[in-house]
Amino acid sequence: MKTLKKMMATAAVLAVSATAALAADIAVIGGKNDDAFWNKIKKGVDDARLVVEANGGKVNYLRMQSYDNFAADSAEIIRTAISQKPQGLAVPDWVYDSQDPAIKEAIAAGIKVILFNAGTWDKAKELGALNYIGSDEYVAGRAGGEYLVKQGAKNGICINTLPGTANIEARCKGMIDAMTEAGAKAEQLPLPSTSFGDPVAIAEAVKATLTSKPEIDGALAIGAGEADASAIGIAQAGKTGQVKLGCFDFNEATLGRIKSGEQAFAIDQQPYLQSLLAITLLAGHIDFGTDLPTRPVLTGPGIVDGSNVDATIAGVKIGAR
Amino acid sequence: MTSMPLASIFRRPEAGSLVGLLMVVAFFVVTGGVEFLYLSSVGSWLSRAANLGIIAIPVGLLMISGELDLSVGSMITAGSMITALVSGFYGLPIIVGIMAALGFGILVGMLNGYLVVRTHVPSFIVTLGTLFAVAGLLLGLNIVLTGTTTVTLMAPELAKTLFGKYFGQGFQVLIIWWIVITAAFVFFVHYSPYGNWIFAIGGDKVSARNSGIPTERMTILLFVLSAVSAAFVGMSQAILFQAVQATPQMTLIFNTIIAVVVGGVLLTGGFGSVIGIFFGTITFAVVTQGIYYTSFDQTWSNLIIGVLLLGAVLMNNTFRKMALTYAPKKK
Repeated sequence: MKTLKKMMATAAVLAVSATAALAADIAVIGGKNDDAFWNKIKKGVDDARLVVEANGGKVNYLRMQSYDNFAADSAEIIRTAISQKPQGLAVPDWVYDSQDPAIKEAIAAGIKVILFNAGTWDKAKELGALNYIGSDEYVAGRAGGEYLVKQGAKNGICINTLPGTANIEARCKGMIDAMTEAGAKAEQLPLPSTSFGDPVAIAEAVKATLTSKPEIDGALAIGAGEADASAIGIAQAGKTGQVKLGCFDFNEATLGRIKSGEQAFAIDQQPYLQSLLAITLLAGHIDFGTDLPTRPVLTGPGIVDGSNVDATIAGVKIGAR
Repeated sequence: MTSMPLASIFRRPEAGSLVGLLMVVAFFVVTGGVEFLYLSSVGSWLSRAANLGIIAIPVGLLMISGELDLSVGSMITAGSMITALVSGFYGLPIIVGIMAALGFGILVGMLNGYLVVRTHVPSFIVTLGTLFAVAGLLLGLNIVLTGTTTVTLMAPELAKTLFGKYFGQGFQVLIIWWIVITAAFVFFVHYSPYGNWIFAIGGDKVSARNSGIPTERMTILLFVLSAVSAAFVGMSQAILFQAVQATPQMTLIFNTIIAVVVGGVLLTGGFGSVIGIFFGTITFAVVTQGIYYTSFDQTWSNLIIGVLLLGAVLMNNTFRKMALTYAPKKK
């Protein structure tokens, strides 16, 4: 009898706390916490949280522990989020095959889902998600290629430290397609896996490539760290300014180079906007039934070059860009 | 013996790794052309070798003494991160940043050494633990202190000249450090009594201790050397590249072990030489850099790197067997 009473009491407490959570309870899934890109996303999460909490809701940012078993872990983290019974879920659809079933489970459990950062609007429609907020890697790659051509580049390379990774390959493909269509030449420089994360290896690889192929006059790096190393490689080949350098994403050093003219531009998908918009749109939908008819919401590509570098630097200082 | 100087050179432990190196250089001169031997190209692969080699020698000595150090992967990031935090973010003089980075190296090295010596847990596990612990500590500190994961460092000219500059046609100043450090290690290992201790520890630890060698102190010293070397290279990279990301260089762990093994050190310990590791490191750098001079489709580069490294090790093995089984003919 005693245990039955206890169980009933527990059930009553649970029921009360469940009804108390009327306002939006939103789970957000993101990449590792030592991944600089996902900390800009975090700034968007933190800023959106202010709005959600003002209305009595809460936001939980779940982050990947590692990328080593990516396909399986990225699906598992969605199931972890579902088990916390949120009302809304903002999730990057990195690996369709493994994550889609988990996203469908979330939607079947009555959770409102928005795809952000990785995915497409077609994918969101297919799964039953509300929207897709992010950039399109291929379109961003094309923007890079077009900018290089506009700068007068005739022979481009796409410096790829993660060959075989689908979204990175799409970046390079977009750049190569855009340059080829404009009558220029472009190819990939896929670096071996022994060089990933090693700035010396990347710098020397770029230098060696520029030495053995002197016709190259445009380069696009797949990330900001890669661009730091590539800029040193270009300088060592004695080609600063002659080889127009661009990169995806950026850091403080990238902006310093853009300001001083050592680097031409950076392509930004504006991650801060992705999480900020995804969470506030979800919360508005859950709390007030609002609905944004613009689908997908593209947050990029935005080009950072000499014309807007100063405002960007201000954003970097507080971790929003 | 004196009548056959060439033959005796070939029986030295580093001969095999020298032959392996000559083999891969020849391969790239044939497939990549003479551009591969231009001064600027030599600077390119020597710079890569120097960054790896400064760490590979103490890691190799640890392997000779029967231990492994995986924590170098995060110690290199620790070196660059701490330098950038102290002298970049907080703006203290660069010497304070350098001292803090190297001091942290001593600390982690001693921790590794003491844990291995006192607990008898295999060093693979101990340093795997510190690899993750240090990586996590750095990231946490960095986010708490700066709010981002990238720190910028603008080092003064003198520090750049000493640690992070190119001279001539793309020779990193670290190459000079590497050669000086290698020379110091050659003396320490092959011409001072302490060197034999390392080999004795790797051959048979119990007998080594029984014959009066302070095996524990030696092991701790070697761990300190490897952690400090990694922090030193990290510090130099921060000064050169000016921006530091809080990501551990996991591939460095593999790369040091590859360089050491290609250089003729036995994975089981007890055999190897500093000059061998020196050649092994250059071999690794030549193979990974050489790829860019060839006309192969870059997509195949990992395959070619793997096959060439395997070839270099097999070459080395053959030579070692020949050297160890050689007996001079009776006259």
